Amino acid sequence: MAVNMQVNLGGLVMKNPVTTGSGTFGSGMQYADFLDVAALGAVTTKGVSNVPWEGGPMPRLAETPSGMLNAIGLQNPGVKHFKEVDLPWLAEQGATVIVNVSGHSVPEYVECLQELEESPVPHAYEINISCPNVDAGGMTIGTDPRMVEEVVSACRACTSKPMFVKLTPNVTDICEIARAAEASGADAISLINTLLGMAIDVRTRRPLLARVTGGLSGPAIKPVALAKVWQVSKAVDVPVLGMGGISTADDAIEFMLAGATAVAVGAANFVNPTATIDVIEGIRSYCEEQGVADVNELIGGMVC
Amino acid sequence: MGKLINEKATVLSNENVGPRLWLLTVRCPQVAAAVRPGQFVHMLVPGMADHMLRRPFSVYRTDVAAGTMDILYQVVGYGTDHMTALPVGTECEFIGSIGRGWEVPEGARKVLLVAGGVGAAPLFMLTQQCVERGLDVTVVLGAQTKDALVLRPAYAEVLGEEPRCATDDGTYGRAGFCTSLVEEALAEAAAAGEPYDYLAVCGPLPLMRIVAGQAKEAGVFAQVSMEKRMACGIGACLGCIVDTVDGNRRACVDGPIFDAQEVVW
Repeated sequence: MAVNMQVNLGGLVMKNPVTTGSGTFGSGMQYADFLDVAALGAVTTKGVSNVPWEGGPMPRLAETPSGMLNAIGLQNPGVKHFKEVDLPWLAEQGATVIVNVSGHSVPEYVECLQELEESPVPHAYEINISCPNVDAGGMTIGTDPRMVEEVVSACRACTSKPMFVKLTPNVTDICEIARAAEASGADAISLINTLLGMAIDVRTRRPLLARVTGGLSGPAIKPVALAKVWQVSKAVDVPVLGMGGISTADDAIEFMLAGATAVAVGAANFVNPTATIDVIEGIRSYCEEQGVADVNELIGGMVC
Repeated sequence: MGKLINEKATVLSNENVGPRLWLLTVRCPQVAAAVRPGQFVHMLVPGMADHMLRRPFSVYRTDVAAGTMDILYQVVGYGTDHMTALPVGTECEFIGSIGRGWEVPEGARKVLLVAGGVGAAPLFMLTQQCVERGLDVTVVLGAQTKDALVLRPAYAEVLGEEPRCATDDGTYGRAGFCTSLVEEALAEAAAAGEPYDYLAVCGPLPLMRIVAGQAKEAGVFAQVSMEKRMACGIGACLGCIVDTVDGNRRACVDGPIFDAQEVVW
């Protein structure tokens, strides 16, 4: 049985519902020895900003039960370098490209987007208002509905391409934030970014991360992410890009059944470099086994 | 760095060879054939879903004809402790061969290789290579105690002479840190008018910092092997940053070998 795997995420046509979690896949170049990046529904690139960012102090990583903490701090070489190196490479591969855009302030998001708009390569944008590892911008925006409206409206004015907004789960009511993003022009909602977490070495009494706190990802956060996706997909009319601890096709299908139109594979890429492809093939097999002709039938298909 | 592969492997043996030191031999032919001295492999250890990340290991030696690879590992935490229980026949996975290896300059004739503790592993293939090329090779090994000098006989065989050894507790060779042996080797070479053309050092960070300083003092080009916690191991996550004079560099793919003078100590 031929299964239709194509989905439409807020105007972005994806050949299958699987993309990458921003920051876990670079621009795909590092994974090109293992897979064809054009085979993914989309590549979501590492967060890019208007100018180069140095990122945070070392150590930036810690392993925790069924997950990991990171405090990279959005280190990136800036949008000019990204346009010169990463975007041409992605275009050459024939990849569908979602560019994750970061900033400390409204003008920085706008400047970065304006630079990106000069390139034909991005098919969509994901506005990152949810990184827990920067002192300004990121999560400080995504936890305040008023700031969300300000940033998302300003970004909306820069582009007519599909624009997604990536939310942090570190809020009291994520639905309120999602509605603010939708009202300000988001074409889809991405969630969840990492959960704020920390770990301490009891022998040295020092935090495992130099920044003390970081973002928790991996299978440990999957149940939390799934609940947030379910809540948000009911709260807004725009589609949802679901992520948080997806390692297998079954994980991905859970997110779709909970209401996600597409999903992102994140930390699993670190463990299994072909995790994305394995998830795509697994969703296809599941559909074949279940007699599902169109993967879109799975979206919000939870029975209760 | 050549094309990366993720290869299924089988444990052929896994034995305790010294204090907290284990020698793992795996059959992993493609990665084994690709490994260059100083590069590393990224191991997926089975049965650790609750500690999900891969573990980076340097390669002690390979037998390309047999398709095997030896890894000398030190038990330092949950992952390496779990590894000691892997029975023969266990299936695991390796990404390899990753990163920038040792770079002995073209035309070098005389090299000094310095290893502290388990740092003896990633210098062994370099030693083999230098000996095969007919270079004048001096090896200095340091360890906490005699029983931890597990690769001493292997080095002696390759070199055709004993490596210069130091132990912290004086149970073998020079008592104290191996840096005094390095100082002497550098001084001897200078006195003989035949200075070293290259120095490679791998071991604990303080050792590498001191030896890098000694090399600089002696005017010898030196390289070091930087170890950091890693997630992806292939250059994507930016978790394993080394502070260099040129800014942030990734230990995994921009290293693990760096020129000593590149590193901000």
